[in-house]
Amino acid sequence: MSGEVQHDYHLVNPSPWPAIGSLAIFVTLVGAVFTMKPDALLFGIEGSSWGSWGFGLGFALLIYTVFAWWKDVVKEAETGDHTPVVGIGLRYGMILFIASEVMFFVAWFWAFFNASLYPIVPTSGATFWEVIGNDAVWPPVGIETFDPWHLPFINTLILLLSGTTVTWAHHAILHGDRDGLKKGLWLTVLLGAAFTMVQGYEYNHAAFGFSGSIYGATFFMATGFHGFHVLVGTIFLAVCLGRSYKGHFSPERHFGLEAAAWYWHFVDVVWLFLFVAVYIWGG
Amino acid sequence: MAHANPTGWKRWLFSTNHKDIGVMYIWFAFFAGMIGFAMSGLIRMELMEPGIQIIPSVFGMDDAQARHMFNVLTTGHGLIMVFFMVMPALIGGFGNYFVPLMIGAPDMAFPRMNNISFWMMPPAFILLLLSTFVEGPSGMNGFGGGWTAYAPLSTVGHPGPSMDLAIFSLHVAGASSIMGAINYITTIFNMRAPGMTIHKMPLFAWSILITAFLLVLSLPVLAGAITMLLTDRNFGTTFFDPAGGGDPILFQHLFWFFGHPEVYIMILPAFGIISHIVSTFSKKPIFGYLGMAYAMTAIGFIGFVVWAHHMYTVGLDVDTKAYFTAATMVIAVPTGVKIFSWIATMWGGSIRYTVPMMYAIAFILLFTMGGVTGVVLSNPGADVALHDTYYVVAHFHYVLSLGAVFGIFAGLYYWIGKMTGKEYPNMLAKLQFWVTFIGVNMIFFPQHFLGLQGMPRRYVDYPEQFAYWNWVSSWGYLVTLVGVILFIAVMGITLARKKTLGDNQWGEGANTLEWTISSPPPFHQFNELPQIK
Amino acid sequence: MKVKGLIARMVAGLTALIAVAAGATAQDRIGQPTDKGIWLQEAASEQAQKISDFNELLFWIILVITIFVFILMFYTMWRFREKANPVPSKVSHNTFIEIVWTVVPIIILVVIGVISLPLLYWQDQVPETDMAIKVTGNQWNWTYSYPDHGDFELTANIVDNATFDDPAKLAAAEAELSSFLGWPAKMNTRLLDADYRLVLPVNTKIKVQLTATDVLHAWTVPAFGVKLDAVPGRLNETWFEVNQTGIFYGQCSELCGRDHAYMPIAVEVVSKEQFARWVALQGGTIAAAPAPTLGR
Ligand code: HEA
Ligand code: HEA
Ligand code: CUA
Ligand SMILES: [Cu+2]
Repeated sequence: MSGEVQHDYHLVNPSPWPAIGSLAIFVTLVGAVFTMKPDALLFGIEGSSWGSWGFGLGFALLIYTVFAWWKDVVKEAETGDHTPVVGIGLRYGMILFIASEVMFFVAWFWAFFNASLYPIVPTSGATFWEVIGNDAVWPPVGIETFDPWHLPFINTLILLLSGTTVTWAHHAILHGDRDGLKKGLWLTVLLGAAFTMVQGYEYNHAAFGFSGSIYGATFFMATGFHGFHVLVGTIFLAVCLGRSYKGHFSPERHFGLEAAAWYWHFVDVVWLFLFVAVYIWGG
Repeated sequence: MAHANPTGWKRWLFSTNHKDIGVMYIWFAFFAGMIGFAMSGLIRMELMEPGIQIIPSVFGMDDAQARHMFNVLTTGHGLIMVFFMVMPALIGGFGNYFVPLMIGAPDMAFPRMNNISFWMMPPAFILLLLSTFVEGPSGMNGFGGGWTAYAPLSTVGHPGPSMDLAIFSLHVAGASSIMGAINYITTIFNMRAPGMTIHKMPLFAWSILITAFLLVLSLPVLAGAITMLLTDRNFGTTFFDPAGGGDPILFQHLFWFFGHPEVYIMILPAFGIISHIVSTFSKKPIFGYLGMAYAMTAIGFIGFVVWAHHMYTVGLDVDTKAYFTAATMVIAVPTGVKIFSWIATMWGGSIRYTVPMMYAIAFILLFTMGGVTGVVLSNPGADVALHDTYYVVAHFHYVLSLGAVFGIFAGLYYWIGKMTGKEYPNMLAKLQFWVTFIGVNMIFFPQHFLGLQGMPRRYVDYPEQFAYWNWVSSWGYLVTLVGVILFIAVMGITLARKKTLGDNQWGEGANTLEWTISSPPPFHQFNELPQIK
Repeated sequence: MKVKGLIARMVAGLTALIAVAAGATAQDRIGQPTDKGIWLQEAASEQAQKISDFNELLFWIILVITIFVFILMFYTMWRFREKANPVPSKVSHNTFIEIVWTVVPIIILVVIGVISLPLLYWQDQVPETDMAIKVTGNQWNWTYSYPDHGDFELTANIVDNATFDDPAKLAAAEAELSSFLGWPAKMNTRLLDADYRLVLPVNTKIKVQLTATDVLHAWTVPAFGVKLDAVPGRLNETWFEVNQTGIFYGQCSELCGRDHAYMPIAVEVVSKEQFARWVALQGGTIAAAPAPTLGR
């Protein structure tokens, strides 16, 4: 049974990052709880004295771990561990990861449609019996929504355009055109950054708040998580851009880039749903 | 490709070996199981007689705090058993150890990610345990809102940090499971040995494949739901708060959209294990293999569209309830196919009553009992009387504690020889089976009566009329306690023995790939991939 | 042959057991659980009766299925043990039997569905009712009000255990309740008795409208066949018609925090005349009110 390894699978070397990453997550989250609840006590110690420190340190460690881990992956990719069969595995992995992300957004859309299709009149326990029979509407009374054909529409165009530029980059590498690859990625990253900035600007000029109303809750959480994914996607693409300067990727093997492109398209599609449902239909 | 084989603590902490990770999962599940079992002990001892008796003295608190503490125990017990015992044992433990062996793969697809899946479990567990030591409702410690964590009790009802810790615990455990699931699906799709088509794949691998799909598609929805809890609690959103136009029922939809698939996540791997054991000890191939595989697939699919059968009393409209009734009952059909196929596998066989087989048979019988009470509950006409009573508690312990857990015991006895090369003490193991079997039935059978009589669940104290069956149930726990002590003894004796077993401990009938290699298997198996005809 | 006899005897035994349990219930106090009881509480409304009948039917169905599986299993275990059958067969398919065990359960489920769904629709429709009550769940008591009788309100808290331990306290509590009711009242069930009772007329179609102020609760009275969640921000509706007078108990059936087990529901059902007198005592009004209508 022993004998030489005669298959193409990747037997990964032992790695400290999973354990360190878990520790980082733990510290981050405990820190986060006591940052949110500074007055609360953990074994008699007040959260305000250490909560945000724990959160900050844990988070820094987490970022470092992620960085180191992926550096290892990139190194393995470049030294030939990613054989064709391993490449297929990575593709499965990425598709499934995106599938799980889709389901995560399902939760936010569910909340949105639950609130918008079956709106209820805001009531506190004391006023309940008085408001029965009042008609509930969506958007809720007093909420002034965004004009979808304004900034949101521009953002839609930005994202759609970035979808084409990332495809450009992909096709460029398929033809061995490294220059095209860099240009396409530069454009995509810049468009991604532009989207985030426009979104930030829009948030700052919202006529409704995050708290206190279901409209703000569903709006900001759904678009906010989308925005977070844009950010992650932009970073992912920027990493690919950096790698392309280092001479990584070849016409045959460039799965990192492809995964980033898939992710980007996913983020794009989520936006289209948000735009149609939350901005146009629900606005 | 030089591949390092570390030793000592690094071997475990930095592991990228599916068998080592599987073993760590099993140990983890064992310890978590002990804590969950101890908690159920406190619950049962408290409920042995009417009145509040033991919690105040055990925890040194007054009566009012004890009432809350009881809810904390129930909540913790449910969460621990589900997320930190059954799932790590069946999916993380047996799944990791045996899926690659069974499909002829050298390891999992993403060994390093496999390791973080495991190492995220202890932090998740510690977060949950920590939550019991910090404030929940004002002036009291711990989260006592049930494993279902319904809003608004989990938002305004528990303003302290306890619930936040519990939420993060579930986030971490969930992320761990999602990564594990992605790993299994990729491994099974991409790393089967040459010649092993999906229709030749052992049923345990099938069960893990389907389970993994359920995990990938359902857990993110739970993650979303508990994130909403988190923002409602800390950042003023009003997803579940009617004062801001939110809706408490939304949480239940999101929770059960996850929660119902979750119950099949817990039982499908057990189905897989039982299939192997029944086939091995009947010395017959499994009856209706394809039917078995697609029955599990069907259960998985339908499992996604029946969630509101947990919500018949929340005020759904009648057509919705009618739909969920019909959809829920449909699941009895593929499940029946499994039950009858197991019996048909035994039919005509040459059956050996080893300990794993005894557990498997007990599983089939007791699962049937739990399943048919599920069918009763699926009818709103009856559920109006039984919802949130001990009838439900009896139902789900028959499928979980006497189903999934018996699956774990069965799997452990079946495979411990493979994993360690050591033989378990047979007579003691048989005794362990009988004591546990009697004990758990004594705990949970009378709970049907309590439920029919109307005893609500999550009650720290009850009217005298419920005393008799509660008393029986609690004595059943003490019998089970003996069973668990025997179990620890059996396992201890096994581990202390010498390695004596060859490749195939069970002989003819055990014909999946794990029986073609040594016991315990080499650190890296299948360096040369096996060829399947 | 033998098997048949065994089944017959088991069925007979079980029937006897249930008959005894049901009989015991009948002799016992109605409206609350029975010591050592193993069956549903005695029904005091049409709903509860229908639930009870349906549940009994389901019980027989699942019992037969379970016994069938058990007998099949035991027979297989005995007939095909290693000693009796040393050479295993290799059969792993039989299309006919596979079809049978798919179709027969389907038929059983269709039968259940055909009975279950009409019952569901029957339970759900709220007919023209004679009066309404508004019920509000709070941590940890119930508020009731009578919109058709001048909208007066009462809040029912549990009678705590300490009261039952102390005869003087109990007497005081009973006196208070008696003066509230206008007739003598006894309290004898720990955890079920409340300081004030919801008073309702017998043989009257009563609509219940339900909500909660803080967290979820569930308003349950087993003998009426009613269980419905009280949800903040939502109005839930159900109805029942009690067909006998007496005191009926229920308990909060949705986890609502520390005192979930301590917010009982105590309902005293009285004759219509007595109800009218009680309403007057509360300062309410009895009008020939039309059926109440509160929108959703
Ligand atoms: C392993 C876990 C598991 C499994 C497998 C199941 C299986 C089933 N469950 Fe269960 N259930 C739970 C775990 C599980 N459940 C839990 C944890 C809860 C409570 C959660 C909480 O509130 O905390 C719950 C609650 C629960 C409820 C809500 C009750 C309430 O709160 O009011 C309902 C209602 O429909 C239900 C139904 C069913 C049905 C129809 C099945 C079916 O899948 C069963 C199918 C099996 C059979 C039917 C037996 C074998 C079949 C045959 C022998 C064929 C012939 C049979 C017929 C024709 C009927 N379950
Ligand atoms: C898998 C799930 C599981 C398991 C195994 C159990 C096991 C047990 N449970 Fe369960 N229980 C739940 C899931 C489970 N429970 C859930 C979800 C709830 C609802 C919570 C809520 O309302 O929010 C609940 C609630 C619940 C209640 C109701 C509490 C209430 O409403 O207030 C009670 C009361 O008696 C109870 C008792 C028990 C007992 C006595 C055991 C056991 O002690 C029975 C015997 C068990 C064993 C013998 C197995 C021990 C296993 C090991 C030691 C691990 C071995 C593992 C390896 C070797 C890898 N449980
Ligand atoms: Cu109110 Cu439980
Ligand atoms: Cu379910």
